This record gives sequence, C-alpha cells and structure tokens, in this order.
Amino acid sequence: MEPGGSILESIGQEIIGVMSPVSICMFLVVLLVYSLYNPATATNAVTIRTAANLVYMESPTDSTAQKLEGSLLNAAVFIIIIALVTFLLVLLYYYNFTNFLVYYTRFSAFAVFSSMGGSVLLSLIQHFNFPVDAVTFCILHFNFTIVGTLFVLSSGGPIVLKQSYMVALGIIVAAWFAKLPEWTTWTLLVALAIYDLVAVLSPGGPLKLLVELASSRDEELPALIYEARPTVEMRNSGVRGSTLGLLVGGISGDNGRSTGGGVELQAVLRNDNNNGNENRDGESIINVLENGSNEIEVVREDVGESSPLIGGSNLMERLPSPSERRNNDNAGLLEGNTNSRGSRENESQREDFAETGLRGLKLGLGDFVFYSVLVGRAAMYDLMTVYACYLAIISGLGCTLILLAVCRHALPALPISITLGIMFYFLTRLLMEPFVVGASTSLVMF
Amino acid sequence: MTVAAGIGYTLLALGPSLSLFIAVIAKKPFLILTLLSSTLVWLISLIVLSGLWRAFLPFKTASLWPYALIILTSVAFQEALRPLFWRIYKRLEDMLDAVADRVSKPRLFITDKMQIALAGGMGHGVAHAVFFCLSLLTPSFGPGTYYMEKCSQMSFFLVSAIIALAFVTIHTLSMVIAFNGYAEGNKVDQYIVPVIHLIAAMLTLINLAHGGCIISIPLLYGMAVVTLGHCGKMVWTKLAENRSRQGSSY
Repeated sequence: MEPGGSILESIGQEIIGVMSPVSICMFLVVLLVYSLYNPATATNAVTIRTAANLVYMESPTDSTAQKLEGSLLNAAVFIIIIALVTFLLVLLYYYNFTNFLVYYTRFSAFAVFSSMGGSVLLSLIQHFNFPVDAVTFCILHFNFTIVGTLFVLSSGGPIVLKQSYMVALGIIVAAWFAKLPEWTTWTLLVALAIYDLVAVLSPGGPLKLLVELASSRDEELPALIYEARPTVEMRNSGVRGSTLGLLVGGISGDNGRSTGGGVELQAVLRNDNNNGNENRDGESIINVLENGSNEIEVVREDVGESSPLIGGSNLMERLPSPSERRNNDNAGLLEGNTNSRGSRENESQREDFAETGLRGLKLGLGDFVFYSVLVGRAAMYDLMTVYACYLAIISGLGCTLILLAVCRHALPALPISITLGIMFYFLTRLLMEPFVVGASTSLVMF
Repeated sequence: MTVAAGIGYTLLALGPSLSLFIAVIAKKPFLILTLLSSTLVWLISLIVLSGLWRAFLPFKTASLWPYALIILTSVAFQEALRPLFWRIYKRLEDMLDAVADRVSKPRLFITDKMQIALAGGMGHGVAHAVFFCLSLLTPSFGPGTYYMEKCSQMSFFLVSAIIALAFVTIHTLSMVIAFNGYAEGNKVDQYIVPVIHLIAAMLTLINLAHGGCIISIPLLYGMAVVTLGHCGKMVWTKLAENRSRQGSSY
C-alpha cells in the first residue's frame, strides 16, 4: 500500500546500531552472572587481589564505615593507576611509539581471551556439566583466542566477526569485574564516571590530549573501540591520507523556521543512488542539522585509554561520511529551499569524493565493560533492578548520543549512564520493590 | 519448576509482544526507540508512585480500602501521563514530517502513526509484564513451585503470567485507541481508555478474596477482548476511510 519506504525505517538507525551491541553485552553478562554467581559460595571464596582491591579486601563482616572507607581507598588507587597508565599512553603516542601500542593492545586482547576467557569458559563447563574433554577444549579455545587477537585490531575481514569479538571481550572483562565485592564495585563505578568526565573534557585531561594528538596527525589510535558500521577501505588512499580527518563545515545561519532551537536527526542516504533509494544493506548515516542550516557534523577522533586490564577507551565519537554532503544537495535541490543552506551546497557539490569511507558511531570498549558491570551487579540483587538499570543506561546512552550530535566533539559516555544507572538502582531497590512486590504477590496489578 | 517452565511462563506473558516486536517494531529503529522511551516513562511513573506510597507500606490490614486507594491513585497518575505523551508525540510528528520533506520522502502515513502509538503502548505493556510478573519468575527457573492459598488451582507463576498477558494486551491497545481519540478529538475514545484501565485494575482486587482469581481472570480477559475489538474496529474504519480518500483523489 505504501509507495516507497517511509521515513520511519531510516531514522534512528545509528543509535540502534550502538544500542544493540550494548544490550546484547549486558544481557549475556546478566545470564553469566545468574548462572555462575552463587551467593553462598561467594562469601566464603577467596577473593582474588586485583588492581581494583589492592588496598582493602572487603569481607561481609566489616562494619559499614570500614567498608565505605576501604572501598573509597580502593577506588582512589584504581583511578590513580588508570590515570598513570593513560598518561604513559599519551607519552608513548606523542613520541610515535604507535607500533608498540598496537602490539601491546594485541597482547592484552590475547591475554584477556586466553586466560580470563578460558577461566569463564571453564566455570561454565563445570557448572553445566558439558561433556567436553580437555584436548578438544584446548584446541577450540586456542582457535577462538588466536582469531580474536587477529581480528580485534585489524581492518580486514567481516565486520560482524570483529563486532562479535569486541562484545565477547567486553563480556569477559565485565564478568571478571562483577566478581568484585559490592561496595567496592559501586564506589569504583562512581569514581570512574567522574574520572571519565574529567579526563575527556578538562583541558589537561589525558584523553583529551590523546584526542588532539590523534586528530592533529590524522591517524587512528591503536585502541579497542567498537564500531557500529563497516569501514569501507577505499582505493584512493592518497586523497585523504588516512580514513580519519577533521572536517568542519556548515553555517550556523539564522533561519526562517519557526521551530525553536532544537536538533534534528536526519537520516541521509548513500549518494550512489541519486534518486534517493535507500541502500539495502542498511548503511545509512545520521546527519545532524540545525533547523534550516546545513551544518554537517564532523568530528572524528579516535581515542584510546588503556586500563590495566585491557586497552579500551571511554570515548565516543562520530564519523560522518563525505557522501552525506552530496545528498544534502539532492534534498536541497528538490526542496528548493532558499535558506542559508544554499551557499553551502555549491561548495560541497564541487568536492570530489572518490572514496566513501562510511563510518558510524564508535563506542569505546571500556564503556561496554562498565555498563555491563553495573547491570551485572544489579543482577545479583533482583531482575527488577536489572531492568531498571538497563533502561537507565540505555537512556543515558541516548542522551549522550544526542549531546554528541549537538556538541560535535568526543564525549565521555560513562557519566550520564552510570549516574542514571546508580540512581535507578537505589530508587528501585529502596522504593519500588516493596511496593511492586507487595502488590503483585497479592495479585493486585494495574 | 525448571528452566523450561520458567521460559514457558516468560513466553506466556510476553510471547505476543515478542512476535509483535519481531514482526513490526524490529524493522524500524524509530519504533524501537519509542518503545524504550515509553518503558522508561512507565518505570519513572512507578518509581514516583512507590515513593508516594512507601511510607504506608506494608499494609497491616486485610481490608480492601488501602489496595483500592493504591490502584485508584496509580491508574489516575498513569492516565494523566497519557495526554503528555500525546503532546510530545505531536511535536515529534512535526519534526519527523519536516525531516521527511527535507529528504524528499513521503510524510508519515496513517499506518506509521498507528505504529508509533502501538510501539508506545507496547512499551507500557512490556514494562508492566517485567515489573509485575517477570521479576517474580526467577524462582520458577529452579526446582520448585509455589501455590497461593487464595488461588490454589494453578501455580502462582501461571496465574501471574496469565494476568500479565491480559494487561499487556490492554496497555498496548489503549495507546492506539487513545492516540486516535486525541487526533480526531473523539471524546468516546479518549475517555474509554482510562475507564478500561481502571476497570481492569479494579478487577484484580477480586484476587484478594479466596478463590477470587477464578472470577477475575475471565473478566479480565473479557476486558482485553473488548479493548481488542474496539481497537480493531477503529483501525479498520480508519484505514478504510483513508483508502477511500486516497482512491477518490486519483
């Protein structure tokens, strides 16, 4: 009945492209926590001393004040370690030790997959009594590890494989972090959110320095970043140098529109089909415009931040493709608007975009890990808290994405989501649960 | 009773929503976003309500009045949020139409608008199912089961899942009816939705009596069928007149 595709099919695709791997990661971590976590054994088990509880090993018999104090110390030590390592990373990158960083990232991915991933798999096998022998397991695990290490930082190969390995990495690290004791986990999350905010936005922050270094050199930082869209390696490598660049365009013109301030998200089609057919592969990009003006959002920054366990980053940035400019031309011509976008279009029409390096939203792996840690910790309490925290994190992610569209530079993805997540966790646990459980156990519902 | 039973109860409450999701909503990212935001709004409304009532819980009396009051206030609050939803939706619709004009695609079809309403309603329904039914189903994945003395014919999990299914249907479809009512200014549609919600919620009060669930569950499903029928009739007439309008314009 409908003549062509409706607009509902294309709007918001990129946001979903980032939200679905985050959701999958959280869901699998919740499943892992539910199947492997046993409250009875957890209290008696020997807690491993990791970087996150160097100072204070929490035990359930300590008093509240002791726990609070100890966990704050733990969080402070952890943040200091991360900050030092990030500054080291900045230094190494500044002195062009990029190869070393690439190899180190590969090595850390290998370590995570083999040792931490192996131990998670072993506990799963033990718990579910899978009938698999040691030799088969070794061979399969070895294969899994090697393929993962190869794929995680390379640009060849199917993108789905790379994305799945990224998600697997996030799941493994999150499952390990979720074993931390409760108070330490919560204070660590809060401290990390604050650190992320400071490191990315403040002028002296290490992540901000990394961003600027990477963008000034037009290079990609070797880091573990989840990318929501396939990268199309283009032939004319000379035209652009690397696939990274910093283009700023657009006029923030005044406009004749009556709608007030606001950001419109627009789905723009690939420029190959000038008649505006949507690419059936589902590749589309979000172009951010301010009402009436043709501001094309640009930034691309790759950032990495290495935590002691993995090389990951806590930033998010967005890469539009050159093709969207040409599409704006089409739209502009067909619409015949005479507002401020007219002059811009003439410029963009003339640019030669031989390559269409389609990029999408990028989210650092650290964000995956800490979102999943929060949800995993909520899972140790109740399913209601899991759902509430999941919704809070997803809405925080959505807010951050919208902010990204407005601000146009790399933003920390942790603070908003973690704040909302923690708030919702405690609200649900303290307020909502007696109410809802009381009502539903008497079968009184609304 | 086992993992199979647990999954069975989950699918009982959420099965139709899952199929609706896969068939209609999963293809359009905007609808997924609508679903997530309406779930969030429902969650926030629940938190606000529990904040209000926290001081009075748990109830010591076995009488009906406190529960009735809770239900009244909760339903009133949630229904008050619906016009708000409508206003946000109107603004969103204008923005979407402007974007559609810009990329020279057709504006929102009538089916698109109804799909957005459906996604919003389903968000409410899924939130209801998760918070009132699924969160209590965790023990059912283990080796035991639980029977309530007031409703001893079926296990508690089964009763809870069946009631949740009825409510999911009612929530999903009420949003479609309500949006249609607001769009056309049809007072009947606008008021029938809170009334249905209130009646359905009040029907669950019967569960407090011994053996009450035998009466309340069929009645609840009656309400769900009424909602389904009303919504179906409304959608049918709307599509028919839209088609005739399109046909006459050529």
